[in-house]
Amino acid sequence: MSEPVVVVDRVTKRFAGHTAVDSLSLSVPSGTIYGLLGPNGAGKSTTIRMILNIYVPDSGTVRLFSEQGSGRDHSARIGYLPEERGLYAKMRVLDVLLFLAELKGVDRRSARTRALTWLERLGLSDWCMRKVNELSKGMQQKVQFISTILHDPDLLVMDEAFSGLDPVNSQVLKDTVLELRARGKTILFSTHIMEQAEKVCDHVCIIARGKKLVDGPLAGIKRTHGGRHLLINFDGARGNADTVFADRRLVAKADASGQFAELELAAQADAQEILRALVTSGARLSRFELAEPSLNKIFIDLVGPEAATAPARTGAEVASA
Amino acid sequence: MRKVLAVIRREFVERVRQRWFWVMVLLGPLFFGAVFILPTLLTGRGGVKHIVVVDGTSSTFGAELTTRLDRESLFVAVRVPAGPRTIDSLTAAVDKKEIDGFLSVSDASVDSGKVTYRASNVSSFVTIGTLDHVITEMVNATRLEREGVNPNLVAKARIQIDLDTKKISGGKATGESAAQSFSLAYFMGIILYMAILIYGINVMSSVLEEKTTKIVEVLVSSLRPFQLLLGKVIGVGAVSIFQFLIWGLSARLLMSQRRHLLGERGLGDAGAVFQIPHVTAGTAAVFAAYFLGGFLLYSSMFAAVGAMSSNEQEARQAQQPVTMLLILSFISMFAMLNDPGSTLSVTLSLIPFSSPIAMPVRWAAGSLPLSEVALSLGILFVSIVVVTWIAARIYRVGILMTGKRPNLKELVRWVRTA
Repeated sequence: MSEPVVVVDRVTKRFAGHTAVDSLSLSVPSGTIYGLLGPNGAGKSTTIRMILNIYVPDSGTVRLFSEQGSGRDHSARIGYLPEERGLYAKMRVLDVLLFLAELKGVDRRSARTRALTWLERLGLSDWCMRKVNELSKGMQQKVQFISTILHDPDLLVMDEAFSGLDPVNSQVLKDTVLELRARGKTILFSTHIMEQAEKVCDHVCIIARGKKLVDGPLAGIKRTHGGRHLLINFDGARGNADTVFADRRLVAKADASGQFAELELAAQADAQEILRALVTSGARLSRFELAEPSLNKIFIDLVGPEAATAPARTGAEVASA
Repeated sequence: MRKVLAVIRREFVERVRQRWFWVMVLLGPLFFGAVFILPTLLTGRGGVKHIVVVDGTSSTFGAELTTRLDRESLFVAVRVPAGPRTIDSLTAAVDKKEIDGFLSVSDASVDSGKVTYRASNVSSFVTIGTLDHVITEMVNATRLEREGVNPNLVAKARIQIDLDTKKISGGKATGESAAQSFSLAYFMGIILYMAILIYGINVMSSVLEEKTTKIVEVLVSSLRPFQLLLGKVIGVGAVSIFQFLIWGLSARLLMSQRRHLLGERGLGDAGAVFQIPHVTAGTAAVFAAYFLGGFLLYSSMFAAVGAMSSNEQEARQAQQPVTMLLILSFISMFAMLNDPGSTLSVTLSLIPFSSPIAMPVRWAAGSLPLSEVALSLGILFVSIVVVTWIAARIYRVGILMTGKRPNLKELVRWVRTA
């Protein structure tokens, strides 16, 4: 695997009175969809802003594309969709896109070609000469999304990517993101909606109260933090199954009723051992499934209800950034 | 630099495309014309005043005064002999607006000069001035006659003074009259004030728009806040220069065609009456230098105000100290016109916050040593650097801030930590 695109090394950001991000490290592998997950106020936006050099970390470093220079220096290779969306209300759609592309170093002529292509693709061709404030909210979101990818960035950063999108736009966004990954681009996005993250992410990092709880490939996290549940269906013969279920070296908790059983595995237990024991005991099985807990369950288990509430902070504190 | 250019381009194009810019371009001269002509119109043509002369004299003085006043185009005068109830009934008549006012004269008027005038409006300079002038003349003539001086001799001795004023500049008379100097100075003062205010506030609302729409976050991830601020100020400044250019060129065109235009309407002489001040290259340069300086100084302050506010309402409040500075400079212009050489005037033309208006006004009103202009420009330049430095720091923190407006203490912290 090539070098990570983003390496965040022990960054800390304090606002007057509290620590928004506390010695956080993470690395985003190239060509993946990376989900930065956490409850509201966990420090996701602050982390993203530090990656983009909008905020300067109090300590720690951010390294992009394995090169020197801040997020702003690499801005031509980065597309950014902030949490709170907004465009110049009185400008024409095409002009806004040209302007934002120019800031990314694209010349106006090729920006125009690309903008028209994208507008066409997302069904906005008829609107390109209209003013932004004549568009519906959903259309404005599409325009803003186009503006983040117009310069064909290698890294796409989206803060609360799917918030406020209707299902159709949400699908469009997801398709585009998957297509970008297929072309080798890297996507980093934050969300607090686990179902979305579960569907698209390759890697995740879960943070709460500015600290990292876990990170790594989604499958691996599910394996270590989930994978402890067994779903069993008997095919008539139960054999000596209850003896196996009672073995505390293997099964921590069993919920067996008739032809069905759900087991929670003991700490060091291997599911294969249970399968062998059940077969040996004479049971016939129609289903033996290591159930992955949903990301949502892992998230709630890890974060805990108390961490889901962010400490209060005032505007003035945010201001001192 | 390309990014700054993109910002400049956006600010310029979007503004010039707006309808209000062209409305300003067209209405501006009308507005300035109105500022000039209205005061004269309003004071000059208050309409004919119907007055009554209450004659309590034992001579013909009252009757003569009435005739004399009636001859003035400003008045229709009627003589009424003084009686016990006259004053009361005339007061009632003024109240009912049947007459504009009444004048009471008696024998004492000729002896001691005491005359009373009661009217619904006594603030019109023209009315009071004419009354004063006519009565003084009549009283003086009567008193001289009483001393045995021939009335014809009195009339002969009187002469109308024609005070010819010319400004001396660079050791020679410029052929520019006091009235021309005055109107040029006045005109420049008003334009500078309006332009700095309007375009300064333009910068402020531009900052505020980017902040409230949150697009600023995208922008500062692409270019440094200072580049953004720089592009904004230059872009808006370019719009104002563009506007001046349109005005300047069309004024030139009108001037060169003036004789033609006026002649066609049989107003060949109007050009002489309507004196147009001569704008030298030096004056234009001073105007341009101070406009740019003033705009840079004030627009960066306005930008900081926009950055520290989170909506229009807050911005309107927060801009008040900045606007006050500008308004004070504007008001002081009148003191300056009165005496361009006074200590107050000199001080105001050196203080950077007032010099952008004060110095051009002084320059136009009377000639100045270049060294003084250089000193004032130097101070202005240093102040721009310092103020922009502070404003840029406030801007940098402010544009990403949400929540309540900072107080002074917090502002100081922003400047220190930014």
